[in-house]
Amino acid sequence: MTLAESTSPTEVPELAPDGHRRRIALLVVSKYGTLIAMVIMIIIFSIAAPGGSFLQPQNLLAILSQSALTAIIAAGVTLVLVAGEFDLSIGYTASLAGVLVTGLMSHQGLPIPVAILLTILAGAAVGMANGLLVAKAGVNAVIATLGVGTMVVGLSFGYTAGQPIVSLPADFTAIALGRAVLGVPNLIWLMSIVLVILWVLLNRTPLGIRIQATGANSHAATLAGVRTDRAKISAFVIAGACAAIAGTLLSSQLGSGMVSSGDGYLLDALAAVFLGSATLRDGKFHIVGTLIGVLIVNIGFNGLGLIGTPTFFQFVFKGGILVFAVALATLARRYARS
Amino acid sequence: MTETLSTTGDPNVPLIRFRNVGKSFGGARALRDISFDIRPGMVHGLVGANGAGKSTLIRCLAGVVQPDSGSIEIDGEPLNISDPQVASELGLAFIHQEMSLIPGWDVLRNMSIGIPLVTRAGIIDWRPMRAKAAAVAEQLGFGFTLSKQVDDLSTADKWLVLIGRALMADARVIAMDEPTASLSSREAVRLHAIIRDLVARGTTVIFVSHRLDEVSDLCTDITVFRDGKVTRRVVGERLRKSELVTAIVGKDLEIPEHGHDPTEHGPEALRLAGVGDGRMVRDVSLVVHEGEIVGLGGLVGSGRSELVKAVYGASRFTSGRASLDGRPIAFSHPAQAVAAGFGLVPEERRAEGLFLNESINFNINLARLESLVFSRFLPFLRLKLARLRAQDAADQVTVKAKNVDELAGTLSGGNQQKVAIARWLIDPPRVLILDEPSRGVDVGARAEVHEVIRALAARGTAVLVVSSDNEELVALCDTVVVMAEGRVVGLLSGTSITVDHLVHLSFENQREEGNAA
Repeated sequence: MTLAESTSPTEVPELAPDGHRRRIALLVVSKYGTLIAMVIMIIIFSIAAPGGSFLQPQNLLAILSQSALTAIIAAGVTLVLVAGEFDLSIGYTASLAGVLVTGLMSHQGLPIPVAILLTILAGAAVGMANGLLVAKAGVNAVIATLGVGTMVVGLSFGYTAGQPIVSLPADFTAIALGRAVLGVPNLIWLMSIVLVILWVLLNRTPLGIRIQATGANSHAATLAGVRTDRAKISAFVIAGACAAIAGTLLSSQLGSGMVSSGDGYLLDALAAVFLGSATLRDGKFHIVGTLIGVLIVNIGFNGLGLIGTPTFFQFVFKGGILVFAVALATLARRYARS
Repeated sequence: MTETLSTTGDPNVPLIRFRNVGKSFGGARALRDISFDIRPGMVHGLVGANGAGKSTLIRCLAGVVQPDSGSIEIDGEPLNISDPQVASELGLAFIHQEMSLIPGWDVLRNMSIGIPLVTRAGIIDWRPMRAKAAAVAEQLGFGFTLSKQVDDLSTADKWLVLIGRALMADARVIAMDEPTASLSSREAVRLHAIIRDLVARGTTVIFVSHRLDEVSDLCTDITVFRDGKVTRRVVGERLRKSELVTAIVGKDLEIPEHGHDPTEHGPEALRLAGVGDGRMVRDVSLVVHEGEIVGLGGLVGSGRSELVKAVYGASRFTSGRASLDGRPIAFSHPAQAVAAGFGLVPEERRAEGLFLNESINFNINLARLESLVFSRFLPFLRLKLARLRAQDAADQVTVKAKNVDELAGTLSGGNQQKVAIARWLIDPPRVLILDEPSRGVDVGARAEVHEVIRALAARGTAVLVVSSDNEELVALCDTVVVMAEGRVVGLLSGTSITVDHLVHLSFENQREEGNAA
């Protein structure tokens, strides 16, 4: 995963025949291309940003903080994609969570932990609805989650009547803005915790292996005794819960609950997951890849901002790096095999 | 539209002539020195046991594979059928067992595939297409409209649509591979009438079938294959079924009386009593004892795979009873079967058995994840144990791989099959079902696979092996239950299990209702 590992295989084939060397180079690009791109970006920004501001610890922490919410949502939806399905409702679920958690505190007067717990359960419930529709009723995942997501938008508006929910307890806003441990922003800690839990769940528990098996070959999984429907539903529930956690943190960060505040995370999260699928493991979705995907986008955004690039270009960059990195990895993989 | 079909020339000039056609796959010779003629306007039957070479010959004619030697002449001209497009332009149409209909499309569109009738603007003109399809539909006597979705059609009607597609393409020759294998008797009779009508209108039909009654009934010319060679050519005369069986098997047969003696095995493990699925399986009863290897023999399409999938919970049986160790079982999901002590090595290794993009370790441990966790309340996998178990299981079946982290998809066919079996070596099930365990596996790996199956049985697992390879059944099984048309038609055990008996039972007992054992 380090740069050293990624470059060493290219040195070996100096003695090898030409075709072999080319093949290895292509394999390196397909596996480590995104990482190489990330390292190159870091080097460029380190040099180009005024006064070395890019590598300042505060800036690096800022990049991680800015990545936290996207990473939490993206990690959740990674499980859905590993299970071979798709989830378009996560952004709307995050928005609902934002208004729900703030509303439960300021309208219903619930204590902070209770409000957060109920909100996460609500997110899980949305995921459950998605999962039941997809796994039990057999509705195409894109349609099911788009439909459920649209209903979730309706719920958000219904709950708030379209008005932002403000005047939140200071303890609540401190969750996203505080630095409770070692002076590192809470968001980074929370992101790390969620990512570690999901990584362990996906790679070190029977449920995670079953989710992987379901996505890899649903029919073979069934014949091996895997309840593929349960695996899919679990993945959707986890994605919904993660979206709710991110939405909760977003409202804490913003200091208010606003309908549609989380909608934009859908595309950011999916972009990160697909970017991550082009990293390290041949086109497979995985948690570490997702984190790298999120980081690449945010490093780029941050660095371009420091250099003073106009905002429009930052969006061109964001879309461009996604398409370019995934296309490069796919092509490299194809040529390496042929 | 019939004028385009009536290209029948002099019936004495062969439409298709195979001249010394030979074909090998790897070291195996699938066809040797095949020579015979197909006369125009006739139904020409191709018969033989599984793997005798009929399908390979058809594939040569279709341009799917190229013969290594010899030639194929059409209308007296030697031609190189380099790809299926060439075959289609020559007026040859092929209808296979695997339906090549596009689900979700209607009959008209399915019939029109590959027939580009476009206007000058490049837009499909459906009017002439519909008119032609309507004429074909009338000729074939479609009992359904052209706008019906093919998914809603019965298997028999799907065959009609495929025949209709061939007629739309103005095919002179239609080769049908096992058209009646999944049809009921009445549907088959209807198809026979249609084939006779096609021939009367000048089309030539090549008819591949295991059902010898219908072959001797329908076909004017018959060519019999055995071991890649033509063993009998019949031109213009009727042949009795018994003569056909003799030609297929190679000698006259007298099946001795044989009884069932399960003496040496342990107590009864799996019992099926009158199991049926309402479609392909009817009234099957059999018993597998602890440590016994029972084979399910018969021809492709005789309902064996359907039977084991119904027992395993991948589908359901609708009649009869099943029990494991005396307790009734009726699974609605394979997970229940696995939990109750069943294992299945499916027929389609790559599609149903394995995860090609996952490691050997993953593939082997998947069915036994519960026993890998620390505890119920600490549900994390013990990776070291997982690796050890996978390594041990892979070693038992001698998987050739660097280590268990290698992806299953990079292994050879034989090694993939070993991995599929190795999954059930961890905590072996009470009953292991293997569907075609050595299909597409080389001779050496096959012997190793058999060794593993015997070892499992020796440790007390009740084994049920579905195989279309009669030599495999002879080599492996203590008892063989032969099925035909969804029923049990015979039971062989001990020394009475021979290839000849198996072939004889498979063919002899078709369509003779009430002959079930």
